[in-house]
Amino acid sequence: MVELVSLFLNSVFAGNILLAYFLGMCSFVAISKNLNTAIGLGFAVVFVLTVTTPVNWLIFHYLLAPGALAWAGIGDVNLSFLRLIVFISVIAAMVQALEMLIDRFSASLYAGLGIFLPLIAVNCAILGGSLFMVEREYTFIESVVFGFGAGVGWMLAIVAMAAARIKMRYADLPYGLDGFAITMIVTGLMAMGFMLFSGISL
Amino acid sequence: MGRIEKPFRRIFDRARPYFETGGRMERLKPFFEATETFFLYPAIPVKNKPFIRDSLDLKRYMSIVLAALMPPFLFGIYNTGYHARNASGLSTDFLSVFGEGLVIVLPIVIVSYGVGLFWEGLFAVIRRHPVSEGFLVTGLLFPLTLPPTVPLWQVAAGITFGVVIGKEVFGGTGRNLFNPALTARAFIFFAYPVQMSGERVWIAVRETAGNAVDAVSGATPLAVAALAEPKARIEAVFADSGYTFQTLFFGNHIGSIGETSAFCMLIGALILLATGIASYRIMAGGVIGVLATGLLFNFFAAPDLPAWFSINPLYHLVTGGFAFGIVYMATDPVTAPGTDTSKWIYGFLIGGVAVLIRVVNPAFPEGVMLAILFMNIFSPLMEYTETRLRIRRRIPNV
Repeated sequence: MVELVSLFLNSVFAGNILLAYFLGMCSFVAISKNLNTAIGLGFAVVFVLTVTTPVNWLIFHYLLAPGALAWAGIGDVNLSFLRLIVFISVIAAMVQALEMLIDRFSASLYAGLGIFLPLIAVNCAILGGSLFMVEREYTFIESVVFGFGAGVGWMLAIVAMAAARIKMRYADLPYGLDGFAITMIVTGLMAMGFMLFSGISL
Repeated sequence: MGRIEKPFRRIFDRARPYFETGGRMERLKPFFEATETFFLYPAIPVKNKPFIRDSLDLKRYMSIVLAALMPPFLFGIYNTGYHARNASGLSTDFLSVFGEGLVIVLPIVIVSYGVGLFWEGLFAVIRRHPVSEGFLVTGLLFPLTLPPTVPLWQVAAGITFGVVIGKEVFGGTGRNLFNPALTARAFIFFAYPVQMSGERVWIAVRETAGNAVDAVSGATPLAVAALAEPKARIEAVFADSGYTFQTLFFGNHIGSIGETSAFCMLIGALILLATGIASYRIMAGGVIGVLATGLLFNFFAAPDLPAWFSINPLYHLVTGGFAFGIVYMATDPVTAPGTDTSKWIYGFLIGGVAVLIRVVNPAFPEGVMLAILFMNIFSPLMEYTETRLRIRRRIPNV
């Protein structure tokens, strides 16, 4: 239990998927313009990461990993080269389902997220979550906690950034730094603040 | 208009046309304004609402902060000189110690001010905004957080990063999201870790009598605590190394130039609170946060955990840079949240996170600097949330 709490805190703060690994930058920069949309996309990413990471865990460990097909009697097959394409397809399917759900229940969020909801399918944070899960050899429970934690960390970052951008409306930015550029600079400074937690091991 | 003021006013009035729009030295207007407000009280009528009749402007605000910074600054000079002379076996009478301290500390401060002013001036001229007094505070806060042996080019690199990336890219004083002095400090902390931490950076020895060594090593209280055996009582370990509570409180021990003496911060805090410049909510929140988190760790203290767990929480207040950070940096009105409840939470979390980093993070000996930067990230969010909640609670106009 302590290890799971530690893993969760680690994936939210020290190993924040956005501020420590810089994954999922494109939608982070684009959507953080508006706080409400940012919260919506944050929840969407939390949901998609929490679902896709364990699902990909199951698929990897029972279909793709070396020797994973032993249950079907063909233990010497190694399909792990299919990892990327299979993970992406699972993510795309999940995002499709989520899109239909949001369209049904919250029209304003659906309109606000616009093109970026389908783009979660190619959000590197989501695929990164699944690939980290394989690389760090998590167990199934750990993959659920990690997926959830990574999503919460991403959401924390985008919500903080959206609020910072509200404050930055009063800033007097030099010509050319408006928009993406200043967001990247602030992201870098935020990452420096998050380095606070690097090195903690519970 | 006083008798002394008149000739000055005349000089400035004569020079003014050159700096006005269309004048020959139009581009240097920010410098003219800065010099004028240095000598004379600015009498610029504001153009936008709200109109409040008060003479508290940015200049007086920052001057009071500078005055409040004097106790740690002067003590820092004395303390640096004392340890330099003490380590090299020279006499430690007051005047020579203070002189030695000046020789070590002044170049750092001068480089910080000089390089910082260059960037501030460059941006002011090109972007046509006034040179702000806020810079005077940043330029003094930053050197006080450095170890006395810091190479001067690193001071220049740090203040450049702090002023340009921490402040000027956002449009100058009042618009930045992160405290510029802390941004500068964190930047050189990560960029040049060798010169920023360890045992050999805290005593600046220039000349030695007898056994000559270039750098003298010495462990700061934080380093002593981090190396303590898990079973040990830190209070006893401190006392063994000569750090009693009293020493730690008055600050006559090695450490960053201006951060050692909690007593001087207390004087500074009283000045800031009496004049209403700094928010008592942030300071009180920070102190409560430290004590609460310290007590919480006391409950978890076990023989196999780091010795920091079992320390009396009061020691957290006087070790490291906590007192300095919470008094001068956390209360920065630009980067702290502007709403009242948020200030309590903001201060509390700074204290809590700082203690958390000290106790459980082996990578950093001290966490106050990064704790404040970390909370700077969330300060706009806290401000926004509290404003929203208040608006929701308001009884609608019927």
